[in-house]
Amino acid sequence: MSKVLEFELIGHVTIGQYLPTGSILHRLDPRAKLLMGLLLIGAVVVSHSLVGLTALLLAVLVGLVLACVPVPFALAGLRPMLPFLMLLALLQVFTIPQHAATATVLWRWSILTMTDRGLLAGILLIGRFSVMVLGLSLFSFSTTTTEFTHGLEHLLRPWQRFGLPAHELALIVNIAIHFLPILAEETERLMKAQASRGADFGRGQRNFIKRARKLLPLLVPLFLVSLQRAEHLIEAMEARCYVGGKGRTHLIHLQMQLSDYVALATALGLAAFAIQLSITHADQVLWHWIFMNR
Amino acid sequence: MIACTIPLIDVRGLAYTYLRGTPLETQALRSVDLHVYAGETVGIIGPTGSGKSTLLQHLNGLLKPQQGQVYVNGISLSDPHVDIRSIRQRIGLLFQNPEDQLFERYAGDDVAFGPRNLNLPADQVRERVRQVMEMVGLPFAYKDRLTAELSHGERRRLALAGVLALEPQVLVLDEPTAGLDPQGRRELLHILSQWRVKEGRAIVLASHNMEDIVELSTRVYVLVAGQIVLHGSLRDVFSHHDILTQNGLSVPIAMETMLMLRQRGYPVSINVLTAEEATREIKALLYV
Amino acid sequence: MSTTTRKVVIAGVMGAISIFLGVTHLGFIPWLAGAALTIMHVPVIIGAVLEGPLVGLVIGLIFGAFSLLQAAIAPTGPADVWFTNPLVSIVPRLFIGPVAWLSYKALRAINEALSLVIAGIAGTLTNTVLVLGVLGLYHFLPWPLIGTIAITNGLPEAVIAAIITLAVVAAWKRIETGRKSSAV
Repeated sequence: MSKVLEFELIGHVTIGQYLPTGSILHRLDPRAKLLMGLLLIGAVVVSHSLVGLTALLLAVLVGLVLACVPVPFALAGLRPMLPFLMLLALLQVFTIPQHAATATVLWRWSILTMTDRGLLAGILLIGRFSVMVLGLSLFSFSTTTTEFTHGLEHLLRPWQRFGLPAHELALIVNIAIHFLPILAEETERLMKAQASRGADFGRGQRNFIKRARKLLPLLVPLFLVSLQRAEHLIEAMEARCYVGGKGRTHLIHLQMQLSDYVALATALGLAAFAIQLSITHADQVLWHWIFMNR
Repeated sequence: MIACTIPLIDVRGLAYTYLRGTPLETQALRSVDLHVYAGETVGIIGPTGSGKSTLLQHLNGLLKPQQGQVYVNGISLSDPHVDIRSIRQRIGLLFQNPEDQLFERYAGDDVAFGPRNLNLPADQVRERVRQVMEMVGLPFAYKDRLTAELSHGERRRLALAGVLALEPQVLVLDEPTAGLDPQGRRELLHILSQWRVKEGRAIVLASHNMEDIVELSTRVYVLVAGQIVLHGSLRDVFSHHDILTQNGLSVPIAMETMLMLRQRGYPVSINVLTAEEATREIKALLYV
Repeated sequence: MSTTTRKVVIAGVMGAISIFLGVTHLGFIPWLAGAALTIMHVPVIIGAVLEGPLVGLVIGLIFGAFSLLQAAIAPTGPADVWFTNPLVSIVPRLFIGPVAWLSYKALRAINEALSLVIAGIAGTLTNTVLVLGVLGLYHFLPWPLIGTIAITNGLPEAVIAAIITLAVVAAWKRIETGRKSSAV
């Protein structure tokens, strides 16, 4: 059973939602998807090639189509960020340290200088963010939280030999996810109980120390109640002889299929491409071509 | 001459829906009428999910009525200019498992939280803390004990003290004896009935524990699926035991025993609420 | 002796609290010019103090991963664009737990309450310094501005974290703190 992670909505929230469309992407092994996600994040972080990022963006859009996710819906996830994105991109464009020697000045107006490097930085910022958001949305659209946890655990298992507690880590993620609604309930209860005694939780309080102290009637009991519940869970688990992941057998076995390997190979290729481009400065060629043919 | 008293709490046609306008909306209350007068203890009984907590949270303004009115001492809680803090001082609400809300390291400080929020001078705060601690049976010296080191029953009484320290007119309690051992329960009920004796006070008690209701209440409301299906004096309400059982509610054990005896043909009165009355009936049976 | 079960459960529960504080406005105390003082790192510190550096590392990982997600989903300001980069949001957070634990362990013998305060401060400063440091290395912000933010945001956050850490852990472990009795 999938759970929809709920976040405070400031517009369209696409990450965290699961869309059961039963597409090919949905049926991929969660391990493949996790690895692809990691490759995507890695490529986005490392690459500063515009061509590379464009390739990644296209790949993600193709992925959305394959997952039978309506593309406008996914793109709506970028909407709340648009104003901030523009602002930051502008900031990058005009304030990036100008290495005057290699930069070509494109435009100047009083103290604002835009160089080609600055412009590139701005566009890269927007590109990186978009690919990241769309990619993460794609992942959550096509994977349930159970699949995610299973995939995570299976992936980490080979490293158990080197001491990585795969099972424990997956269980931790599981416990955290299931504890969230409990926290929401407890917090509501505590807020109401303390408000009934006249607490105001520091609204409109300027002094930050005073404000923090006014939050204590809410925060301290929240932690304490959570720790109490943790103790109960610990007791319950130990009563059932939980000893961790060593030598533990598994009910569900994930099998990688051909489609999983194909998807993974594609992702690997793309990531390599994007990173390669930034190393070989293929962008430079493109840049010069755009700006020289004026 | 009929004495004309304004109810301390007057609820009329109260309705409330959670998450209104979303696909997850649930109507918790549909047109509830309820009155609480000085000097009485009003019991509210109802199956889980009947809306008891929602109703209680309207009484001190935690929730604002979506439909209908809630008046406290004649002041409407729907009024946008209402001084909600003074309402919360007058109506003291004690949630279920109130010991969970204790946050101060030292017991005395936690009790003082309420009075301090009322901006009372330090000596008055101290005096109030002393009074309420003694009222709940905790020696004033306990004020310097670590909250975490008190027993479960003591922590519950400490939480109660914290609310009593506001000097409310009405005490609203949600399952006050839940999780207490019989001794703790008896002590708590005693504290509550002693508190209410003073002029101008009232108690509203929501509980699943019918024995608690019987011991303290003068009048009872039965809330089912957001509506009051039955209300009246204590005896009146429980005499409709069929309606109660139909709606998933139990009756006091004493009454249930009498009902069982009746079923087996014994001529006992089922108008019995307490163990003493039940004993009387059984004795009458045996010595006839 | 801390068993695996304890470590797993505490990591999960504290991780959940960190996420929860981030999702609701509870984790943010409004501060100057629209920025906020955050407390989402406090569960990392508390978890580390209670169960050790490894648990602190894992909770830090959860905190970081979640702040990345949140920056992408429901951003509250321009800074969130930077936090979609795991080097900004995840890697620095891995160090909060171990640093807090070290401070706690080192000073515990002297005075437990003091060690909790220092753990809170040290953990927060680790967060501030490392995150801002990465932002600086990426040239997202000029260094002088970073210095200002470190002081105007970092120090108050450290104080708040210290207050909360002390209040929670002292209550949980029934530690006697400076004040020997009620203020009443």
